[in-house]
Amino acid sequence: MAVDESYRTYSHPVYDFMMKVPGLDVMTTTVDKLLSFGSEASLWIFPVATSCCGIEFMALAASRVDADRMGAIVRGSPRHSDVMIVAGTITVKMAPRVKKLWDQMPEPKWAIAVGSCAISGDFYRNIYSVVPGIDTFIPVDVYVPGCPPNPEAMMHGLIRLQEKIRASANGRDVNREARPEAVHHQRLPRLPILGDPARTSELDRQQVASAASLGWWDELNLEQALDSVAKDLADESESEPKV
Amino acid sequence: MEMIPHVAKARRRANPYLDLGSYDPEADLMVLNLGPQHPSTHGVFRLKLYLDGEIIVKVVPFVGYLHRGVEKLCEKLTMVQLIPIFDKNDYVSPMMNEQSLVMAFEALLGIEVPRRARYVRTLLAELQRIASHLLWLGAFAMDLGGALGGGSTLFMYCFRERELILDVFEDLTGCRFHYNTHMIGGNRHDVPAGWATKVHAAINAIETRLPEYETFLITNDIYIERTRGVGVVDGQLSMDLGITGPVLRAGGVDHDLRRDAPYHCYDEIEVRVATATAGDCEARAAVRMAEIRESIRLVRELIDNIPEGPLGARKPIKTPLAEKAAKGHAYAAVESPRGELGIYVIGGGDNKGASPYRLKIRSPSLHVLGCLPYILPGHSVSDAVAVLGSVDPIMGEVDR
Ligand code: SF4
Repeated sequence: MAVDESYRTYSHPVYDFMMKVPGLDVMTTTVDKLLSFGSEASLWIFPVATSCCGIEFMALAASRVDADRMGAIVRGSPRHSDVMIVAGTITVKMAPRVKKLWDQMPEPKWAIAVGSCAISGDFYRNIYSVVPGIDTFIPVDVYVPGCPPNPEAMMHGLIRLQEKIRASANGRDVNREARPEAVHHQRLPRLPILGDPARTSELDRQQVASAASLGWWDELNLEQALDSVAKDLADESESEPKV
Repeated sequence: MEMIPHVAKARRRANPYLDLGSYDPEADLMVLNLGPQHPSTHGVFRLKLYLDGEIIVKVVPFVGYLHRGVEKLCEKLTMVQLIPIFDKNDYVSPMMNEQSLVMAFEALLGIEVPRRARYVRTLLAELQRIASHLLWLGAFAMDLGGALGGGSTLFMYCFRERELILDVFEDLTGCRFHYNTHMIGGNRHDVPAGWATKVHAAINAIETRLPEYETFLITNDIYIERTRGVGVVDGQLSMDLGITGPVLRAGGVDHDLRRDAPYHCYDEIEVRVATATAGDCEARAAVRMAEIRESIRLVRELIDNIPEGPLGARKPIKTPLAEKAAKGHAYAAVESPRGELGIYVIGGGDNKGASPYRLKIRSPSLHVLGCLPYILPGHSVSDAVAVLGSVDPIMGEVDR
């Protein structure tokens, strides 16, 4: 039985060779396991440490908790790294930069959202300049809640990520569907959060306006953005099963 | 004014092409963006550098990458709800933020704080100052790269010592660094039994290790080469720009709110203010090291004599709306590890007057960043990183 290639998210010379030669298919699972063991045991971290959670992230890398013993080294460049840890509030002004950094990371890559700000915006959620959670524009694998989470909790998040990598090597494709498609135009941050009763439509309008004013919706004016938001909303409510 | 040797050296370092009029900007200058995501910018801060080769000729700083709208939030939430939120402004010294806020509210509401609470606040402030300066030292050593024993060595050491203070705080408040331990009119958490012993152990450990760090700093030729005469902020420039704190004191101006406008219990104890004259990175580092020692001395003096009495002027408030409506306006300032942190508040806003009508934060880090366009031209790019590390800005406080 041919191996379904559509699950592949990364390429490797050995892997590609295996897929080309008939009969070697069965070995690909072994290679897959080997590769994911490599990924799991040497997670190099790229920190986007913008605020308070960033200080706790520094404590994670420093002497007492010491993420180094898990093979997790902090790197200053996205091109060297496997996992992006977003620790801190992401504002509308910062979000395009974070997305750009994420795009520069080579596959396979993972993202961890640390702290309530990165998860949902915390109590700044309704402020005009704050993005309500980074999963509005990049796929997140592990969430570490807290304000701020202890370094031990961040360590736990890293361990959960390792479990996830291991599980996907064993043929279980964990949460792969949840990853959004790659987008051609910048649609970041995806504002507003649709159907959130805590947000008023006026607030949504303001946030769309401030996002549009950044200039990454060059061809997109405010009315069009709001229209597409309304259309999204209609699509979602249609696809939901009737209760 | 007599020329100080370090300053004279700095003047000599300056590039003769500083006058941008002689430049053809199209042909000569290269533009380099340092930040907003850069390991040595201490948060999300962007510096646009115009370079002639390796030499900086013009600097434009950009802020706002961490603008969280705290001052707007203040108009919606009640005074009681605001205290935990202010922890997050200057996230390296949250105690000072809480203290400045509750002091402003107490002044607004006319509440007298009992002596025991003021005493504990003084103690917490000094412990926080040690922790904050230790973090600065570690980050500064990282910025200077290989100068201090291979990059991250001193960073690891400083975080080891900082954890001791965070442990002490965790014993008292239950949190590692967003404490929410101050109330309007007093403190929430009383000093637990045996706490003094732990504090003594922590500050003794830090004091025995400080000489080790100073050996790293003072006797290291690379460190001296990279900091002496680099980034001179003299007293006059500081005063023109409204800079306070260690940067002002390193420029030879003897100003410290703890001594000059005492709050808490600072009028009962003697604070010896550390100053330097050179105003360069080395002097700023020396002032901060001296402040760590001074804070250790103050903590020693304070910890064994905590007075008896109530810890709050009144019972803790149970609901956020229970705060009285307040009219009028008030200003309160504390000497945070970065300088004068002031809160100006006008009472009587939303929620039947339980919210402030308007609240303004006067943050020392914002003022300190103003000096960069003045002092960076003439230095090389690597010096820019050293200068940025030595002025110690916290972006949460700058952008708010
Ligand atoms: S979750 Fe809390 S600690 Fe973390 S960045 Fe947000 S406000 Fe700061």
